[in-house]
Amino acid sequence: MRDVRKTFPGVLALDDVCLELRKGEVHILLGENGAGKSTLMKILSGAYQKNDGQIFLDGAEIEIRNPRHARDLGIGIIYQEFILVPYLKVGENIFLGHEPYLLPGIIDQKRMLQAAQVILDDLGVEIDVRTKVVDLGVGEQQLVEVAKALSIETKILIMDEPTSALTEQEIDVLFAAIGKLKAKGVSIIYISHRMDELFTIGDRVTVLRDGRFVGTHEVNEISRAELIREMVGRELNEQFPKQKAVVGEELLRVEGLSTRGMVSDVSFSLRRGEVLGISGLLGSGRTELASALFGAGKIDSGSIFVRGRHCHIRSPRAAIDLGLGYLTEDRKSRGLILDLSVKDNICLPSVNRFSRFGIMQADREEEAAGRYRRELRIKTPSLNQKVVYLSGGNQQKVILGKWLCLEAEILIFDEPTRGIDVGAKVEIYQLINQLAARGAGIIMISSELPEILGMSDRILVMSRGKIVGEFSSAEATQEKILHCALGEN
Amino acid sequence: MKRREFIIHYGRQFGTLLGLIGLCVVLWILTPHFLTVSNLLNVAQQTSINAIIAVGLTFVIITAGIDLSVGSILAFSGVVLASVLRAGCPIALAMLVGLAVGMMCGLLNGVLISFGRIPPFISTLGMMSVARGSALLYTSGRPISGFSENFRFLATGKILFIPAPVVIMLAVYLIAYFVLNRTKFGRYTYAIGGNEEAAILSGINVKLYKTMVYGICGMLSALGAIILTARLNSAQPIAGMMYELDAIAATVIGGTSLMGGQGSVIGTLIGAFIMGVLRNGLNLLGVSSFFQQVVIGSVIIVAVLMDMALKKQRD
Amino acid sequence: MRTTLLLFTSVVLLAGLAGCGRNRDAETQGPTIALVVKTLNNPFFMDMQRGAEESANRLGVNLIVQAADREVDVERQMQIIENLIQRKVDALCVTPSGTTEIVPAILKANQSGIPVLIVDTRADVEALEKAGGKTATFIGSDNYEGGKIAGAFMVELLGGAGKVAILEGIPGHETGDSRLKGFHESISVAPGIEVVASQTANWERGQGFNVFQNILEANPDIDGLFAANDLMALGAMEAISAAGKTGQIIVVSFDALDEAREAVEKGLMAGTVAQYPKEMGRIAIEYAFKVLQGETIPEYLPVKIELVKKEN
Repeated sequence: MRDVRKTFPGVLALDDVCLELRKGEVHILLGENGAGKSTLMKILSGAYQKNDGQIFLDGAEIEIRNPRHARDLGIGIIYQEFILVPYLKVGENIFLGHEPYLLPGIIDQKRMLQAAQVILDDLGVEIDVRTKVVDLGVGEQQLVEVAKALSIETKILIMDEPTSALTEQEIDVLFAAIGKLKAKGVSIIYISHRMDELFTIGDRVTVLRDGRFVGTHEVNEISRAELIREMVGRELNEQFPKQKAVVGEELLRVEGLSTRGMVSDVSFSLRRGEVLGISGLLGSGRTELASALFGAGKIDSGSIFVRGRHCHIRSPRAAIDLGLGYLTEDRKSRGLILDLSVKDNICLPSVNRFSRFGIMQADREEEAAGRYRRELRIKTPSLNQKVVYLSGGNQQKVILGKWLCLEAEILIFDEPTRGIDVGAKVEIYQLINQLAARGAGIIMISSELPEILGMSDRILVMSRGKIVGEFSSAEATQEKILHCALGEN
Repeated sequence: MKRREFIIHYGRQFGTLLGLIGLCVVLWILTPHFLTVSNLLNVAQQTSINAIIAVGLTFVIITAGIDLSVGSILAFSGVVLASVLRAGCPIALAMLVGLAVGMMCGLLNGVLISFGRIPPFISTLGMMSVARGSALLYTSGRPISGFSENFRFLATGKILFIPAPVVIMLAVYLIAYFVLNRTKFGRYTYAIGGNEEAAILSGINVKLYKTMVYGICGMLSALGAIILTARLNSAQPIAGMMYELDAIAATVIGGTSLMGGQGSVIGTLIGAFIMGVLRNGLNLLGVSSFFQQVVIGSVIIVAVLMDMALKKQRD
Repeated sequence: MRTTLLLFTSVVLLAGLAGCGRNRDAETQGPTIALVVKTLNNPFFMDMQRGAEESANRLGVNLIVQAADREVDVERQMQIIENLIQRKVDALCVTPSGTTEIVPAILKANQSGIPVLIVDTRADVEALEKAGGKTATFIGSDNYEGGKIAGAFMVELLGGAGKVAILEGIPGHETGDSRLKGFHESISVAPGIEVVASQTANWERGQGFNVFQNILEANPDIDGLFAANDLMALGAMEAISAAGKTGQIIVVSFDALDEAREAVEKGLMAGTVAQYPKEMGRIAIEYAFKVLQGETIPEYLPVKIELVKKEN
């Protein structure tokens, strides 16, 4: 039994994490979003460098300098997003970057395809290596990724949520392949959210929380309930200055909303003064739901009622005109125009109100932007500062200012505090309170359970595009929500 | 810190302006013919057509697009304008017809790009050929020449002592500056180029505004055609070849980023003048035309290098 | 950082202009005469430049030769002329890129009192008169006459009957138009000769190849080709050889470039009408000098034109 042991003290996202991997085992890595699983794996695969700590491979201490080096050491990784080249053949993809050569610079196509076929056959996968990747299904692509990782001598294979996009059948094929790898003595680190998978293929499980190591257990010696407790494990504290607002009449009602593939048959309502939390794992359809409500994604069926009136929201403009505002999950790529100033960003959706015959009225713009700068305490040297130079928290406030400037009443916050420091978080929460007190309705999507629990009046839990649970703030606990989100009942 | 802020906000234009001034000083030292009122007006007049087309391209490039068809649109709207003039149409009406032709070509570009989802490079490359071919077909390849003095005033006339094309150019720049900095349209232009996704989510009708931007670009090409036709007293179907590259060069030298979201017409004006002054100066000095191409190419590369360095400093 | 960049820019510019300083040192006390040709990428105009340089050296004239990058860029040619006027050259010799388009530039030179000598390609006489412009003289061959010579030669070789294709220059260019007119004039006497295709290849070699390949595709039984210049003819001959028809098609063209003369010598080309661009350049500078001395010169200075064929 050769042991692999890694310690990473002092890393920002990871603090004193230990992981011991045995030969030929499937080791499950478990934790909430942001618990540090991906960071740890990126260090192992050479994408990040550790700041401190030690890594041992086969008993000898090693430094993993870069992804290429990791591969040379026998560490393969399969990311959540595939990195296959769609218009190359399966065999060519498997050997991409380390093709066998006939002469220097000339690829030995025949040998390469044969070798690729052997790898696939060994995995028990029926894919012709001459097929182009673009013609494969998602599950088959996942298996090609596995084959690719195995095309070099692999001792350790890391799989990051490999089943998130697969069907039941495809999962079975993948698990069979994993079984074969195990038999060959390959060690597998398997990152997953799904409890049922853990008990099907896992040998041992390590739980991470907030970048810290919580514990390692033999899978057959621990129950689901215990694992969930370990994953959640923290107390709600005074970070969440929740103030109850008076809940008024209904602002928004959604009935049977479906979008292609990602959201199915979702119904809920939102009242004035209410903060409606939506929880769920990544890929559960939360963001797609928000996009659809805001007219940015296509709606296949279902009805939306705003202030009791049936509305068709076909574009963001239509949504804005109905008084909706959307604070996107990804501020930089979807929320802000980084090269424009604070003032211009705040006023962008409401330009019509600050212009006459298409000509901007600079004084009115400045007055409005100035007002939100004060109200939201946006820290910026001037209104003309480009937002690219602002901190994350202040950028978020600029986006909020943009919707307040429009007097939006239905605000959708998608991960409002992601990447924001603790102080700014509290400020954002206070702003949410103020908005609710003024009679706005707020939908808050978040992966952070404490935030959802601390700030919501009501909580919906989504999983695979559906709403799978609804709790009042009084009855909700992290355990209940997590059970729901993980598909446990 | 003060200095850093200054570089961040105005460094690019300031650098370009300094480059222009430096160039003028060098020419002033090298030849007595450069720094005279008549030569400076001469340069301004020669720069005007490229400068006007470059305004349209500046708008397009700020939206992170490109328009390769401006030269061909210039030729096509020029020959249509000329034929209408020759048919005895009043000057004002003929000019409107010419501008309308250019604008239609541009709008068609815009529709293909916004609604047809064809990349700007491809659709305007297509338009480049279509408009050129149309101009040749329309005229059977022959130039149309001979216009009234009143029409030719647009190129040969002087207002006070300033040549008419220069007055037109300055007017275009004043309007363009106003539009980009003080109007909704301008704000949206920057927003679309800066982050199209965020612009859509801010409720901007991105498709409509993009289409309009290409329409404006086409119309300004047609304005260039009016001046060119008046200047040469002839409209040629093969006019304006490679003008797109000159206009793109002026825009890029002026600091507009091909990635979109950033740029100014003032920079473009300076860029167009750098090219005009260089050509004029090299002619005055009697430098071989082959060498002129080398120099102008180098200036473009230096300008972009400057951009990259400034960006680095910013981050 | 900014300073470094500016320094860098200045160095590049200064280096670029350094070459110019040299030119100025070479200036002598004589008058400055500019020769503006259509382009310098064409051997025809390079020959013209050489002839002009010879005259200039002999007479102690400062010669400036300038051209646009592309032959068809009339606007750029106008800019060059404007800039030379600013530079206060004493006389201008021009081969117009556009016959009517050159008129405004001539007027500007007139206003500044700079005499203009037109070389090779005529300016549009009618438009010039109407605008009240004047030129000192026209130095060039009679292209119409040359076209007639070519046509007569074609009729002779074909024995008065056959299918003929024509490669035209850019429509609207006086030289090309005159050559075509002369050619048509000559072949009209032989009703057995049929023109099956007449298309432009824009004076260019590459286009000559493509266009003639297409013509051959449509009319495989062509007997003769008349190209309005050698470059197009040389391109077309590549197409002929690619089609395996070398020797089967009679090629007559214009300009007698060195390469064309060689082809005639080898029997690949039947004949080419020789113009003497070097002669044109020589005469242009010589007579510009005379104008500046106050002499009166004739308003047409013909340069000899003759057919180059194998027997010569």
